[in-house]
Amino acid sequence: MDFTYSQEQRMLTDSLRRLVEDNWSRPKRRERQKAGVLNRNAWASLVELGVAGLLVPEEFGGFAETPATMLAVHQELGRGLVSEPAISSAVIGVTLLANSQNQVLKQRWLTAHAEGDAVLAVAWQEPGERDSQRPLCTRAAASKGGYTLEGRKILVWHGAGAQAVIVSALLDGAVALFLVPADTQGVSLQDYPTFDGSRSSTINFKDVNVSAEHLIASGAQAEQLLALALDYGITALCAHACGAMAYLTDSTIQYLKTRQQFGQPLAAFQVLQHRLGDMLIQSEMGLSMTYVAAIALGEQDAAKRSRLVSMSKVEVAAAARLVGEISVQLHGGMGMTDELEVGDYFKRLTYTDMLLGDTNFHLQRMQELEVS
Amino acid sequence: MDLTWTTEERAFRQEVQDFVNAKLPAALRAKAFAHHRVTREEFVFWHNTLTDHGWGAPSWPKEYGGTGWNPVQRLIFEIESFKAGAPRLIPFGLSMIGPVLMKYGSQAQKDHFLPRMLRLEDWWCQGYSEPGSGSDLASLKTRAERVGDHYVINGQKTWTTMAHHADWIFCLTRTDTSAKAQRGISMILIDMKQPGVTVRPIRTLDGGAEVNEVWLENVEAPIENLVGEENQGWTYAKYLLGHERGGIAGIGHCHRELAILKSLAERTMASGEALSLSTRVRDSINRVEGQLLALELMVLRVAAGETDPGPKASILKIRGSELQMELARLQMQVAGADAWPYDPEWMFAQSEDHGPSPEYSPAAAAAYFDMRKTAIYGGTNEVQKGIIAKQIIGV
Repeated sequence: MDFTYSQEQRMLTDSLRRLVEDNWSRPKRRERQKAGVLNRNAWASLVELGVAGLLVPEEFGGFAETPATMLAVHQELGRGLVSEPAISSAVIGVTLLANSQNQVLKQRWLTAHAEGDAVLAVAWQEPGERDSQRPLCTRAAASKGGYTLEGRKILVWHGAGAQAVIVSALLDGAVALFLVPADTQGVSLQDYPTFDGSRSSTINFKDVNVSAEHLIASGAQAEQLLALALDYGITALCAHACGAMAYLTDSTIQYLKTRQQFGQPLAAFQVLQHRLGDMLIQSEMGLSMTYVAAIALGEQDAAKRSRLVSMSKVEVAAAARLVGEISVQLHGGMGMTDELEVGDYFKRLTYTDMLLGDTNFHLQRMQELEVS
Repeated sequence: MDLTWTTEERAFRQEVQDFVNAKLPAALRAKAFAHHRVTREEFVFWHNTLTDHGWGAPSWPKEYGGTGWNPVQRLIFEIESFKAGAPRLIPFGLSMIGPVLMKYGSQAQKDHFLPRMLRLEDWWCQGYSEPGSGSDLASLKTRAERVGDHYVINGQKTWTTMAHHADWIFCLTRTDTSAKAQRGISMILIDMKQPGVTVRPIRTLDGGAEVNEVWLENVEAPIENLVGEENQGWTYAKYLLGHERGGIAGIGHCHRELAILKSLAERTMASGEALSLSTRVRDSINRVEGQLLALELMVLRVAAGETDPGPKASILKIRGSELQMELARLQMQVAGADAWPYDPEWMFAQSEDHGPSPEYSPAAAAAYFDMRKTAIYGGTNEVQKGIIAKQIIGV
C-alpha cells in the first residue's frame, strides 16, 4: 500500500484544485445554482480535466482509472462543493453502464459521456421505500419490438441535466435496468432545487416505449450492476465529504485565529481548541474510512464489498455531521447565516447521510450481509 | 415532597386543552405542524384571543394583568398550547423587557408599556449583540450621549430577532466610556419608528430571514426611557438573560416536535415497515422522550425554588437547546432523503405552494439547520458551561 499520489494523480488533483478554486468560488457557485439548470460550461471544464471520462473504459475514450484515483478526484470536487453531476453521472451512471454487457449502449453513451456530450441520471428510488434498491411500482413489460415502462421515480440526482435516464423497473417480477433517452415520449420530469445547492427530480414514466436494445440487464445481473454502481457512488460521495470536511476544518481554524472576543482570538480558548481537535479527528478518520470503501471496491465478493461500503457510509456520514455542526457552532451567529461559506459546507455535509441510502438503510444492510 | 399531579392541576390541563381546541383555527394549527411561518397578524390574533380570556401573560402577576399562575400551571399551559399547535407567545415583551420593567422600571414605564404588551400593541425586539460583541457582550460599542432631556444613540446591533416587525427596541448602550466594560452600560427603550433606524434582514441557513441587523444613527430617546439608573444596565441585562434562559428550555416546543417526529416515523416506510417499528428508530425516539421528561422536571424544580434559580437557568438553556437540536435531527433522520429537495419559497412564501409533492419533507432539514441557533443564541452553550463552572461549581 502506498498513500503518496503518483505524478499523474498529483498533476490531476493540482489542476482540479486550481480549476475549482477559480470557478467554484462562492459567488460563481451561487450564480449557477440560482440559474437552476446544469451549466454546460462548468461541466465542460470538468470534462476537460477528465472527470467525466475517469471511470469510462479506454475503448470508449475514457481513462479507466482506479478507485484510488476516483477518491483523489472527488476529494478535490468536495473541497470546492462542486454540485455538477460528477457523482450521479460520471460515477454511478458510468460504472453501471461500463460493467454491463450491452455493447450498443456502451458504445453510444459512454463515448458521449467521456467527451462531455451526454450526462446520465440513475433513477432507482421510489415513493414509499426511498432507499430500497428493488423497484416497487415501476414496471416494464415486453411490447412489440421492445419494452413499455410505467412508473414513478423520486430523488433523481441531476435528473433534469441528463440526456439519458437509467431506470430500474420490475420485468416479470425481476429487477431490470433500462436506459431511456430523456426526450422519449411519456417521460415527464419535475425538477427541484435541493438544500445543498444541487438539483433533484421526480420523473414519471407513462406508457414509455423503448426498443429492445435499451434493456441494460435483467435479473440477478441487474441487481448486481445497480449495487456495484451505487457502491462506487457511495465511495465517491464519502470522498466528496472528506474534501469538504478538510476545507471546512481549515477555514474554521482560520476563523478562530482572527475572531476576537474578551481581548483575545477565539483560538486561545481551550474549550474551542478541543472542538477544533474534534473536527480534525473526525475529518481524518472519515478519510481513513473512505479508503476502506475504496479498497472494498476491488473486492470480488459482492456481499463483502457492500458490507464494507455500508460501514464507510455510516461512519463518514456521522463524521460529516459532526464536522458541520461543530463548524457552525464555532462560527457562532455568523455560522447561522447564509452569508459565509460555512453554511454551504454544513448543508453539503448534511446530505452525506441522506443520499444513496441513509444510516438506517446501511446498518440494516450490514446486518443482513453479515448473516449471509 | 409530593410527586403527584393534584386534581386541580389535572382539571387545569383539561381546561387549557378545551380552550385551545375551541379557539385555535385549524389553519393555524396545521401551520405549526408543518413548520410553516406564522405571520405577525396571526401572532397578534393569538395574543388577543388569550388576553380576551385573561390568559395573555401566563408568567405575570395579576397586578399587571397577568394570570398569577404558579410554575406548574405555566408549564401545563405551555405544553398544552404547543401540543395543540398554538403559536408561541412572542417573548420580547412578555418574558424579556416586561419582567425587567416590573423590577427596575419607573412607574410611568410600567403604566404605559406593560398593558400594551398583552395585545402586542407594541412589538418589541432585543438590542443586545453587536458585530464585534457576541459572547463578549460587555464589549458593546453602541453609544448613548445625553443631550439636554434626551439621549442620542449611535451604533449597530445584530441578530435582532423579528426587528422587522418591531415598534420598540430595548437596547444596551454605552453611556460611560471611561468606566470598565460592564459598568458603563445603560438600558434604553428606543422607538423604532423614527428616522435613523435601519433594519436589514440577515438570511439564515434555512433561507429564512427572521433575524436582522439594526443600525442606529443619531436616534433619539427621551431620558424617561432610561431603564433604572444610568450605567447599571448590565445588572438589568443579566436579570433579563436569566429569564430568557428559563424560557429557552423550550419544553412546549419539544413536546410538539416529539409529536411531529412520532407521526413522521409512523408514515415513513423503510425495509417493508414503518420506521416507527424499527428498533433503531424507536430507541432514539424513546430516549429523547425520556430526556424531555427529565428536562420538564428540571424546569419545575428550578421554578419551584427547590434549587436556586440564577445560574441553574444555564442548565435549562443547554439541555433545552440540545433537545431541540436532537428532535430536529431525528426528524431529519426519519425523513431521510425525502428532506433533500428544498426551496425556501416552500417554507416562507405565504402561498399555498408548500413543496414539491407530498412524498418529500422539506421542513425537516430546514428545521435541523435552523435549530442549530439554539446552542448559540442567549449566550452560547460554551458560555453557559462557563457560568455553571464559575457560579454553581465555584471553580
